Amino acid sequence: MSQREGSLDFQADSSISPLPLLEAKIHQTHSLARLLTKYAEQLFQEYVQLQGDPFGRPGFSPPRPPVAGLSAPGAGHAGLPLPERLRLDAGALAALPPLLDAVRRLQAELNPRTALLRRLEEAARRARALGAALEAVLAALGAEPREPRPEPAAAAAAAAAAAAAAAGAFPAKLLGLRVCGLYRDWVSRTEADLGQLVPGGPA
Amino acid sequence: MPAGRPGPAAQSARRPPPLLPLLLLCVLGAPRGGSGAHTAVISPQDPTLLIGSSLQATCSVRGDPQGPTAEGLYWTLNGRRLPPELSRILNASTLALALANLNGSRQQSGDNLVCHAQDGSILAGSCLYVGLPPEKPFNISCWSKNMKDLTCRWTPGAHGETFLHTNYSLKYKLRWYGQDNTCEEYHTVGPHSCHIPKDLALFTPYEIWVEATNRLGSARSDVLTLDILDVVTTDPPPDVHVSRVGGLEDQLSVRWVSPPALKDFLFQAKYQIRYRVEDSVDWKVVDDVSNQTSCRLAGLKPGTVYFVQVRCNPFGIYGSKKAGIWSEWSHPTAASTPRSERPGPGGGACEPRGGEPSSGPVRRELKQFLGWLKKHAYCSNLSFRLYDQWRAWMQKSHKTRNQDEGILPSGRRGSARGPAR
Repeated sequence: MSQREGSLDFQADSSISPLPLLEAKIHQTHSLARLLTKYAEQLFQEYVQLQGDPFGRPGFSPPRPPVAGLSAPGAGHAGLPLPERLRLDAGALAALPPLLDAVRRLQAELNPRTALLRRLEEAARRARALGAALEAVLAALGAEPREPRPEPAAAAAAAAAAAAAAAGAFPAKLLGLRVCGLYRDWVSRTEADLGQLVPGGPA
Repeated sequence: MPAGRPGPAAQSARRPPPLLPLLLLCVLGAPRGGSGAHTAVISPQDPTLLIGSSLQATCSVRGDPQGPTAEGLYWTLNGRRLPPELSRILNASTLALALANLNGSRQQSGDNLVCHAQDGSILAGSCLYVGLPPEKPFNISCWSKNMKDLTCRWTPGAHGETFLHTNYSLKYKLRWYGQDNTCEEYHTVGPHSCHIPKDLALFTPYEIWVEATNRLGSARSDVLTLDILDVVTTDPPPDVHVSRVGGLEDQLSVRWVSPPALKDFLFQAKYQIRYRVEDSVDWKVVDDVSNQTSCRLAGLKPGTVYFVQVRCNPFGIYGSKKAGIWSEWSHPTAASTPRSERPGPGGGACEPRGGEPSSGPVRRELKQFLGWLKKHAYCSNLSFRLYDQWRAWMQKSHKTRNQDEGILPSGRRGSARGPAR
């Protein structure tokens, strides 16, 4: 792997050289991220359609505060060293599944018996899968593991969903919009970051 | 924590708060970048209304005194700005809205009524659910496949358009005892259907009904009472074979097997055959093939490909007196009749409905005659087979006579021709 801007700095130690298996794993994970980016966009579009106008209209600009435990990739993300970016990607992918599950529970009330519910479930599974694959790549490359984040228990999340339903339908729609947007942003960011790890990828 | 602005959740050793209320507090109450700490509350929140009714709503701004006042606020409904004449300032911080003659909701998640600040930013939202209560579902019909399950279908009242999500629930119970049960597998054969896969009793009637519920009310269908044995259907007959009958140009033989799932119960089963010419869409139906598993189609066109299908009605299962329910048609099977020089008859069947008198009654009478002959005369080797062989012989000798006399298929005489160039 040639040295170029944005390539993996921790490869400088010549005793750690990527094995063909590792390169294949990186390729595979990058391909997965690319596929999930497409699915995440489809999920976002399907979500906004079911909530009705003005969701999904160009220029719709609802409040976008950070969701607890997860914010959008910052403007400075692209300027960080690649290992740090990949760690942040992995952290975001680990935070997304419970959020997607929470949105699915709210949408089960707002849009019962729609395909959206299955898509949200699939999105949570895919985020877990991509996050696990990315963690495996980072571990194989000898990167420092990300800091463990506290995960809300499933029962606590379910009780929280019930409480949240009482807050109103419109705030629930906004929450789902935010989470689906974050999912799309982070999966897309992961694809871009992994692309720099792929031999022959963009500088 | 991903990079970017520091999130509100501190990295503390305390147990993290429940996820969703915290998420929603962030969505509703957290300060927007650069806009100050101000939100609003819409009342009523998520109302449910009848089509044609009116709504009085208010948007009350809260937050710091430097924030927006009612003066600059405006409303949108499903993204469309509402005319200012529908709004009225109640006080410095409250803008009222009056909507009349509401239409049904555009989406089942509710119409989005939003209160905006002067700069267009969203201060609050409420979802309106405008629709109709459900009407009584009707026209419930049910069938059991091989006595193992029960599938029911119904028609929603008012053609189903309530503009609100309406939940349909199929309920059933044994007529004289037992508790109400609820069907769980919906949309199996269309949007208003349900499938009960197991644990059904025979020889005792069920009561079945449908309950429809939405935000504006509920409705219940009439109760349908049925015995599983009276609504049995089965699989189409397998192994349908169609073949020629020797050299007979106007006949095809159809054979099939009883549907295996009910093969021990089909004593009184009825079968139906339908057939059509290859390039036609018109099927001819042969009714009441009774409980045979073969049939001979007669009066067909020579040299023609026919498609044939068979279906079964498990009539009389366990003594049921009801009509039974026809299975689906079997997959089409094709065969062709032998070619003929002379034009064949139009078409007939082994038991035609209003078919050609020259075919059905003649053969029936002949059968009766042969049966009588066997009893009363010493003609033990007489049979229908012999009759068919005679017919085939007749057709061949007719063909040979025509060739000798130079008669063309149309019946005209032609001259001998030399070899083709």
